[in-house]
Amino acid sequence: MTAQMFFIGFFGLAGVWFGIVVFRTYSMVRSALALLFSQTALGAMFLSMQAEFLGVLQIMMMATEMSIMAIFMVMFMMDPGGLGEMDMTHQKRLSLGVGITAFVSAVAVAVFVDWGPLATTAPDAVQQTADLGLELLGRSMLIFETAGVTILTAMIAATAVAIQPVKKASCHES
Amino acid sequence: MSPELIIALISGAALFGVGIYGALSQTNLVMIMMGIELILAGAMVNLVAFWRYLHPDVAAGQMFVLIIMTVMAIEMAVGFAVAIARFRAIGSVEMEEATELKG
Repeated sequence: MTAQMFFIGFFGLAGVWFGIVVFRTYSMVRSALALLFSQTALGAMFLSMQAEFLGVLQIMMMATEMSIMAIFMVMFMMDPGGLGEMDMTHQKRLSLGVGITAFVSAVAVAVFVDWGPLATTAPDAVQQTADLGLELLGRSMLIFETAGVTILTAMIAATAVAIQPVKKASCHES
Repeated sequence: MSPELIIALISGAALFGVGIYGALSQTNLVMIMMGIELILAGAMVNLVAFWRYLHPDVAAGQMFVLIIMTVMAIEMAVGFAVAIARFRAIGSVEMEEATELKG
């Protein structure tokens, strides 16, 4: 067993474990933190697979996003601490069946498909980042710019939906 | 066959399955979004594994992962905006209570 294989397996298992904890705990804040740890484990998994830029980006972005999610948990959930042990689920058996079917199907594809010759080495981090930059601003420029405009649209839409309308005072009131 | 690739793909499949379970079983909008986050994370793991072990010299694989990260951020932003609006309207983000459009 190589070191890379060990770390990919370890962080993959950690990511899956914390992903399961998200839906097992009654505390909503712990759910958000469990998702944070899951995403961080995946970032470490990316680093193990020599995708340094993506790994660092994943850890940075997900740490921020999940922290914000924890705040929303406290804002919107009836029992953020989980002391009441409320069960906010439905159609559990169906969901479990669909989840297991999806997992088994994906594993079957992964194991039985012939993926062809596998690469043993990857470019170093500096070369990868340079190649990614050239890809984003070269061949994938249209996709990159479309994504940027989409983000801007989503930000404006989210702000418009979330902003509380201010009631204008009528002439009689003033 | 590289065991590293298979391990990564199995991890991605497990995340996908857990995410689907969460998205289908939870009644709260925020928890459903957490399930969707796990589904997208599973897809990202697979993409990175395919990039690393099949085409490490092609940067488009990493670019695809960046696009998925963008989608995750957009989905969270819009989803939480909808959650805020919903909470202001009726004081709850439980999806079982969202029956206004039901025929």
